[in-house]
Amino acid sequence: MAVPKQEDMLSLVEEAVGFASKNGADEAEAYLYQGLTTNVSIERGQIARSSRIIDQGLGVRVIVNKAVGFSYTNMLENKAIVEETILKALSFAKASKRDENWHSLPAGRPSASVEGTYDGNVVELRSEDLVKLASEMLDAAENKDKRVFPIEGGVGASHLSHAIANSSGVANFDQGTIIECNLAAIGQEKGEVTPVCFEFNAERSCSINPQWVGDEAARLAISALGAKKVETKATTVIFTQFALQQLLYFTLINAVKADYVQRNQSAFKGRIGEKVASENVTIYDDGLCRGGLRTWKFDGEGVPQQKTVIIEKGVLCNFIYDDYTAKKEGRDSTGNATRAGYLSTPNVEATNFHLMAGNKSPEELISEMGEGLIVYYLQGAHSSNPASGEFSVVATPAWKIRNGEVTYATRGAMLTGNVFHVLKNISALANNERKVGQLIAPWVLVRNVKVIGK
Amino acid sequence: MKEVLIKAVDAAQKFGAEYVEVRFEKLLKTMLTLKEGRVEAAKQGIENGAALRVLVKGAWGFASVGILNTETLTSAVLDACKMAKVASSRLKAPINLVKTKAVEDKVVVKSLKDPSKIPVEDKISMALTMNNIILGYDNRVKSCTVDYLDLIGTNYFLSSEGTYIEQEKLYVLSRITATAIEAGIFTFSREEIGSTSGYEIFDVETPEIVGEKVAKRAVEQLKAKSPKGGTYPAVLGPNVVGVFVHEAFGHLAEADLTLSGSILLSKLGKKIASDVVTFYDDGTINGAFGSSKYDEEGIPTQKTLLVKDGIVAGLMHSRETAHKFNTTPTGNMRAESFRVEPIIRMRNTFMEPKDHSFEELVSDIRFGYYLKSFRGGQANLDGTFQVGIQEAYEIVNGEVGEPVRNASISGNTLETLLKVDAAGKDFRLWPGRCGKGQTAFVCDGGPHVRIKEVLVGGSA
Repeated sequence: MAVPKQEDMLSLVEEAVGFASKNGADEAEAYLYQGLTTNVSIERGQIARSSRIIDQGLGVRVIVNKAVGFSYTNMLENKAIVEETILKALSFAKASKRDENWHSLPAGRPSASVEGTYDGNVVELRSEDLVKLASEMLDAAENKDKRVFPIEGGVGASHLSHAIANSSGVANFDQGTIIECNLAAIGQEKGEVTPVCFEFNAERSCSINPQWVGDEAARLAISALGAKKVETKATTVIFTQFALQQLLYFTLINAVKADYVQRNQSAFKGRIGEKVASENVTIYDDGLCRGGLRTWKFDGEGVPQQKTVIIEKGVLCNFIYDDYTAKKEGRDSTGNATRAGYLSTPNVEATNFHLMAGNKSPEELISEMGEGLIVYYLQGAHSSNPASGEFSVVATPAWKIRNGEVTYATRGAMLTGNVFHVLKNISALANNERKVGQLIAPWVLVRNVKVIGK
Repeated sequence: MKEVLIKAVDAAQKFGAEYVEVRFEKLLKTMLTLKEGRVEAAKQGIENGAALRVLVKGAWGFASVGILNTETLTSAVLDACKMAKVASSRLKAPINLVKTKAVEDKVVVKSLKDPSKIPVEDKISMALTMNNIILGYDNRVKSCTVDYLDLIGTNYFLSSEGTYIEQEKLYVLSRITATAIEAGIFTFSREEIGSTSGYEIFDVETPEIVGEKVAKRAVEQLKAKSPKGGTYPAVLGPNVVGVFVHEAFGHLAEADLTLSGSILLSKLGKKIASDVVTFYDDGTINGAFGSSKYDEEGIPTQKTLLVKDGIVAGLMHSRETAHKFNTTPTGNMRAESFRVEPIIRMRNTFMEPKDHSFEELVSDIRFGYYLKSFRGGQANLDGTFQVGIQEAYEIVNGEVGEPVRNASISGNTLETLLKVDAAGKDFRLWPGRCGKGQTAFVCDGGPHVRIKEVLVGGSA
């Protein structure tokens, strides 16, 4: 992969800011992104394709008379188009409406220092190397049991770099790597098909374990065979990390974003200092976590990322802010502005949402709960009520736990409730934390979840 | 343009590719986000890029680049060829494509109101009107977000089999959400507007009509009660029928997922639903959000019969899956952008109407639910579906009663389709966005439909 140079990227964004300022911007910001990704994909039991995607572009935000305009392009080799893009941002700002709450772009501050976010070995990987890793994963799944059908998956390696500059002194560059493998499998036996069983492993350095992913996806698929319906009643539930991530992404994570709070869309508004979760819940938004999938030196506005305590021993401590929402309250950004590459303006988003692990082993958690469900994935979490935290989802795949042991897979069990009650009913956390998307968390044990079965 | 693409195709053929296609895309986007009337930013994007897909020794190679010149494209297509060759080392069953007729065509979009000709000031003012209607509806409406997007562009498609298509595209989309609060109760309401015809969609879906609908729902939900969890008879509105057809059945009938073990694989030609059930996927409906003349393999779109009177009649195919099933492709291969490979996607998917009036559907139900509008839905290969509902009512003694909040339905597709016992004579299509790794613009719809019983999950 051809890796871009720091000097080149920084000079491009600084020139863009200069050009915008010269052409009438009160303030200007330029963000340059480059992503190089190589993938090898598995389809229906075989390695069937490989791809390479090179994506780079520039997004320019300008402010004229307190109105914001934004424009992007990926045609960077053409200087006339880059200049036209910047002029378009200016004309859109002029066409837009004044925002009386607009204060200013963030001032330049030293970047944070981060560890474990870049590994030159990931950059060096060739598609042959990825085929080998994908084969290890596929073999592990297929050798497990002949009832396993690996339907899709793959291995991907990415090198991402970005540079940002603004007219208030921000000029930053950072680069990082991500390598990831994933496999979705089903179990098939006598006309029965299991729900999709998925496993994955993503890291910032060359330390993924494709064999474990293949083996675990296959183990789940086999174990999901012979599913039975369950009774309607309130029960104890263990949420594994995937299920927890789905549940929290559409509810709790939104509720702690400052723009949701300021816009009356959060049930946490005005409740800082209150107990909102059980005593054993402590959550950080940790933009600096070593090797975290969302760990970077600075956020989408060039503000250094940081570690912010969200909930400490059940008490709500802080919300997360970008520069705009922070200045509205006269405080500092928490470094939580995120961008979708060069295609968007920054939005408030969690970095690594870290629910601190407990001290019980997963086996202890299962044996202590006695009876209940262990839920791996939720279907329909995106249809939760984002404002109230109410959800009504299908737990699939999920398994029944009886006498402290995982017994059989369940079929079509719905879980309904409110995520804010779930937080208060977390009675134990395991010691098996892992990274799933933006969440870092262990398994959690939740009392009194309503299950709708037969 | 064409010359550069030809050179890339030639280079891949010299390498030894069995099949090569080059898709070049030019796009211009305008985007707005308004939050409580504040224009967060007026945004524009100019982008172009090439997607190169090759078949070498029975395996796919793909490359995407944002630069269009002979050198970059040739080097990218050779890169794709080499990667395909590497991937083929582990191939058990080489990929084959069904033969199709080469096409040469130029498709021009004709809109009454070309969004690129409408000043951004007018779009901002339309979005502001929407916002003002929503926030002015009732003082319990506390927040309102209006997202607007229009996209115009041209796709140039060239294949090694002689197909060359220049196809213009146009999408106009708006997503409107509102929340209302009263006494610690939060409600949420959303609507989407989407069209491939032009900005004239806002003459029909006016800010006044859509704004009032969003605000009214948010407010009415404040007094709604939670549903009782359990199995009940239900009448589904066209909006919910659409998402049910799309999620619970449609995904299983995308031939790539069918082959991946969806429960439909063993049901082709067999009865899976009651007699009133007939489903289509149709890419040819003028102006509908999922329509286009050709797909991203250069295949013309069509109206595909999926279920006829309860019997599985067809699937949605790519050239690859059509070869496996010894049939013809259906024009369902779609790619979100030049950054990704095309995959099988639905277009406009719906259930055919029958003969009942709404009153007839409701009249026999002593207690059940009328599920009018959905919030989201999701399906699984084993046929488990879930549809979250944003607007629902009780049905008591044959009449629509009090509103119900945050309901959802779920079940198994095959069991539920057999319980569909009557369909209305009305019909409506709704625009939406579907996620399958990539986002696709689609429509779903149908008539009102009655289901003898379905699992309803409510909030605690």
